[in-house]
Amino acid sequence: MTTRRRRAIAVRAGLAAALTALAACDGPQSVLSPAGDDASQLTTLFWVMLVGAVVLWTAMNGFFFWITRIRTGEMSRKWAEALIIGGGILFPVVVLTALLSYGLTIMPDQRAPGDGLRVRITGEQWWWRVEYWSEGADAPVVSANELRLPAGLRSDIELTAARVIHSFWVPALGGKMDMFPGRVTETSLAPHTPGTYRGQCAEFCGLSHALMAFRAVVLPEDEFDAWLAREAEDSAAPPGPGRDVFMAEGCGACHTVRGTEAAGQVGPDLTHVGSRQSLAAGILPMTSDALVDWIADPEAFKPGVEMPGYDHLPQEDMMALARWLEGLK
Amino acid sequence: MTKTQPSDEREFAEEQSSLFKITLGPLAWALHFVASYAAAAVWCAKGPGGSILPLRLGIGAMTAVALGLILWVGWRAWQQWDFTDDWDYEHARARGEDRHEFLGHAAFLLAIVSFVGTCYTALPALYIGTCR
Ligand code: HEC
Ligand SMILES: [Cu+2]
Repeated sequence: MTTRRRRAIAVRAGLAAALTALAACDGPQSVLSPAGDDASQLTTLFWVMLVGAVVLWTAMNGFFFWITRIRTGEMSRKWAEALIIGGGILFPVVVLTALLSYGLTIMPDQRAPGDGLRVRITGEQWWWRVEYWSEGADAPVVSANELRLPAGLRSDIELTAARVIHSFWVPALGGKMDMFPGRVTETSLAPHTPGTYRGQCAEFCGLSHALMAFRAVVLPEDEFDAWLAREAEDSAAPPGPGRDVFMAEGCGACHTVRGTEAAGQVGPDLTHVGSRQSLAAGILPMTSDALVDWIADPEAFKPGVEMPGYDHLPQEDMMALARWLEGLK
Repeated sequence: MTKTQPSDEREFAEEQSSLFKITLGPLAWALHFVASYAAAAVWCAKGPGGSILPLRLGIGAMTAVALGLILWVGWRAWQQWDFTDDWDYEHARARGEDRHEFLGHAAFLLAIVSFVGTCYTALPALYIGTCR
């Protein structure tokens, strides 16, 4: 193979690799394809920093090359002094002051007060307790493992944790914020593009930390209001074999299904579990098959999970239970 | 060991005070840093809530004092270095003048770093107007 052909192949391979890498920057959990005001600001910050770093790196190395290979003679004292004072003191002070000021002017925006809706999220091992407080409400709408937000509005996010530190992060919507037991931290999010994004616990919190995710669903404002009104209602929880198994097996000791006697607080609220887009904090699809697998052996999906397995249930009971849960919309 | 000459003793006593001067710039910076962060933490945790203007003004005043002190130290150090007299920034020899000018030179450079550092410490109070 000629050198030229080899070079052409190398260039093409390089381009292909770069394109693949770029394609990976797209997607539901990417800081580089922002769907909210805060994330857009952070993306701009990232590009500014990156371009700045590349320019500085190139300039420094170019300069180094010039001084060691091209103009290798002795430097006059005057030049050397100008270089040290100008390049070593003045230039960094000016650049760093500009960058620091830019960063500091952005920070207040990232925590600006919201337009009314307050969402309180508690980090549990390894799932999310989610409460929606509309403006003026005196009780929250309780949900879990999914965050829904209205597009075009800024919502306050209040964060806390049950037992260990977690961190709340939806890269496509905004920056991350830690969650501490016994303390409330605040942030806010202003999504602008409706869609489904992915959030992930970003602070190691035990065995199944990597399996603690969730969907963040951004809806147009009127759809959001309609959804929240539905979420606030009790579950239809139709009577039948599925409901009987649920009650007989004691699932209600840990789970709440509003509209039934199940009022447990240990695990996620299941009142409208079937309307969520994912199961078990973002790791399984919301289908009856996945529900069966999960209920039979949660430990197989999440090591250390606080829910016992029910693989002793007869097949038909299990199917009835799964269908009933899937129907809790 | 020979007994130190009286002239040496006098000289060391003199340098002792400039040895102290060398730490003054960074010391002002450090104290300003601790005081600013402590004030902000206490104000935001226990303060009356609402506007944080008093806190910002307080940090502003502390900054003015710290910068004033650093400028003064810097000026005295510049004089001690006495650069424009002989354009000498090498102080390698074991004699009184070199020691004296070295301490001035070092204190001057440290004052510059401290000045910049103190300004950067104060910048958040300028840009961030709430406790959030
Ligand atoms: C000892 C308490 C406990 C009992 C009893 C229990 N669960 Fe759970 N369950 C949990 C916990 C804790 C989680 C959250 C696990 C995680 O994601 O880390 C959970 C998660 C779930 C989920 C996923 C919820 C979601 O938001 O995706 C379903 C569905 C579920 N349980 C169904 C059941 C059913 C059905 C039963 C009875 C057969 C049951 N659970 C019994 C504690 C319990
Ligand atoms: Cu975690």
